[in-house]
Amino acid sequence: MGPGIITANIDNDASGITTYSVAGARFGYALLWTLLPTTVALVVIQETIARMGVVTGKGLSDLIRENFGVKAAFYMMLGLFVANFGNTVANLAGWAASMEILGFSKFIMVPVGALSIWILVTKGSYRLVEKILLFACLIYFGYVVSGFMAQPEWGPVLKSAVIPQMRWDSEYIMLSIAIIGTTITPWMQFYLQSSIAEKGIKKRQYKAMRLDVIIGCSITDIISFFIIVTCGALLFPHGIRVTEASEAALALKPLAGEYAYLIFALCLANASLLGAIIVPLATAYYVCEAMGWEAGVNKTFSEAPQFMWIYTMTIALASLVIMIPGAPLVLLMVLSAVLNGLLLPFVLVFALLLVNNKKLMGEYSNSRAWNYISWATVITIIGLTSFLVITTIMPLNV
Amino acid sequence: MSLFGELFISELLNKPVLDPKGDELGRVSDFVVIKGEHLPKVSALILNKKDKLRLEWDELSIFNKSVISSKIYSPHVKSYVSSEDDLLIVRDIFDKQIVDADGAKVVRVNDVKLEGKHYMAWLAAVDVGMSGILRRLGIERRSESIYRLFGKTLSQNLIGWGYLQPLEPRLTKISLTVPRQMLSELHPADIADIINSISQKDGASFFNDLDIETAAEALAELQPEMQADIINSMDTEKAADIIEEMPPDEAADVLSDLPKERADEILEHVEKEEAEDIQELLMHEEDTAGGLMTNDFISYPPDITVREATERFRTEAQEAENVYYLYIVDKEEKLQGVASLREVLIADNDSYLADIMETNLKTVAPGEDEMAVAEIISKYNLLALPVVDENGYMHGIITVDDIVDILLPPASKKKRRRV
Repeated sequence: MGPGIITANIDNDASGITTYSVAGARFGYALLWTLLPTTVALVVIQETIARMGVVTGKGLSDLIRENFGVKAAFYMMLGLFVANFGNTVANLAGWAASMEILGFSKFIMVPVGALSIWILVTKGSYRLVEKILLFACLIYFGYVVSGFMAQPEWGPVLKSAVIPQMRWDSEYIMLSIAIIGTTITPWMQFYLQSSIAEKGIKKRQYKAMRLDVIIGCSITDIISFFIIVTCGALLFPHGIRVTEASEAALALKPLAGEYAYLIFALCLANASLLGAIIVPLATAYYVCEAMGWEAGVNKTFSEAPQFMWIYTMTIALASLVIMIPGAPLVLLMVLSAVLNGLLLPFVLVFALLLVNNKKLMGEYSNSRAWNYISWATVITIIGLTSFLVITTIMPLNV
Repeated sequence: MSLFGELFISELLNKPVLDPKGDELGRVSDFVVIKGEHLPKVSALILNKKDKLRLEWDELSIFNKSVISSKIYSPHVKSYVSSEDDLLIVRDIFDKQIVDADGAKVVRVNDVKLEGKHYMAWLAAVDVGMSGILRRLGIERRSESIYRLFGKTLSQNLIGWGYLQPLEPRLTKISLTVPRQMLSELHPADIADIINSISQKDGASFFNDLDIETAAEALAELQPEMQADIINSMDTEKAADIIEEMPPDEAADVLSDLPKERADEILEHVEKEEAEDIQELLMHEEDTAGGLMTNDFISYPPDITVREATERFRTEAQEAENVYYLYIVDKEEKLQGVASLREVLIADNDSYLADIMETNLKTVAPGEDEMAVAEIISKYNLLALPVVDENGYMHGIITVDDIVDILLPPASKKKRRRV
């Protein structure tokens, strides 16, 4: 298992699963085709990021600080910190919701979940954490199982997956953009490059790295595919609309029986908790590395105070927010999606400027053809996410 | 020019520079630094107008936080052509990593402090603290009052330039520096940790700067791939010096990961006797007793007295890696027996080694698997195990620390932190 595969897996966190469930329930298989271009865009971007990690041996936040100065790094890290706080809230909310539909109170399960991931990371050994993560990645295949259990008609499914169809429906457009927005996120880019630099992957292993990235991106979207297929096959024909992943699980119960419902609920719980471990931890690393503060899971509070406090406060505050009755959870998640959308152009443009820096990348900087593809991809993504951000702030009235 | 005390670079950036008439020449964008007697000194200012301009230090008339002015008029200012050979404070020092050997951690340069003395400006220290970041962001004052609210003061965290050791020649890059006097006091394993925590290229350059002895010790602690990369990127002479300094078995491990021609090239520069030892070890498979062993051991003929052996031991033990067993070999280098250091020390001075040596020997063949070696060492609680071929010739010893490296999984040797 390489960094590309792990990163891509964690990309399917609570908000991703929600988007796919909603898309499947609302439009059946009609949005399946968006996965193909999304995968291509994801591969192009992840390949660039991975190549930078391999060649420079440094993380993205290191490179931004060294090449664009402390101001750029500081504001980007501030943005990342706030956006990732929102992501953590979303993931813990996913955890709470999945526990509630399994019959556990969120007032017990949120503190239990938060405390166990806090203890796991601050006190647990790397090997234990890694084993748990790898096992958790396997659980994602539950969605594939549920997709087959839904017994869809494969003909229409495959047709929808390859033949694009456009509908001038604001919800349809919003959802198709949201699929890209939830797949290509700012924090992932930092996470991927750092784990590659951290693993010390050499230039000569680069080809294997590229394969790892491509496989990882494909697996992510295969999982997404099966989530849409499950909801598309079971919920869409009955006209059941859902707004959350947990609602999708609940709605499956009378239609597909106990197992599909259990699989959906457990997979959501798993993905949410995985996201809640990685996102705050990753944030703490990048912020500290960019700012030149001591960082590390093996350090104590007095050795690496900023690192430990960022990690602890993110989890503690996010759990508190979830447990406040009537807290504006939806607003917070929307805000975090907006902030992610605002950060993404900067991250992508910085990345492309860096990868074209000959001093940094030497012969590994982008070729002209690859540059055209990358800039086109990045500009499209920036265009689509800005559209999403603008319409989230000022909803369309169609 | 008026003298100034201490100034931070971030307080000067983007300040207008005036000519004697009061016209703006441009705004400060960077500082050129050259090697000084003790500390680097500022030799010119780079200004931003439409193009980049270069104003020499002796063309300045006033230089302080509030006013910077020049002796020359606007048309006479030279334009600046960017050069890789110059050392520029903002371009080359700001935001770069420093390895702070005090605690072996990596920090970043947030700001640089200048000191004015003798009409010169010296580069006195780098700021790696919180106040440096806030100053760069232009919010130091405001943050100070917030800190005071909580009854705290913003502490400065400066590292004097004197403690920093530029890594690359010509001072073009200072991505990494370290107080040398502190470095020599660090354990080689800690130095290896520092090298593991920085990029591959910086690691190699960092290594080039260590003295041969420290380098040899630190190299042995690195991961095999990193070892090969570093040795490969060094010049042959230096690489050979380091290889020569290492125990033969560790040297052989490093060389076996290199391309054959490169390893041979380095070996040609190693002292003949050492090179032969290494050559011999290189012939064995890596995961066998022969691949694990070192041929650096203490051996004596059976017919010398304990007194004589002790005297020889005093001089030879300085070089040897493992000194707890004395091996007794005959003229043909066939292993006869072994005596532990304890047995030798408590034995009567006039007795012969042949009298006190243990002859019931535990040995392994060179082709034996490494796990079998580990089992014997563990079963008989040995510190070292001799490697003897079918004819009784002694080839080397395997020490317990090499076995520990095999038995411990790699994860605990180098703690990986990202999950």
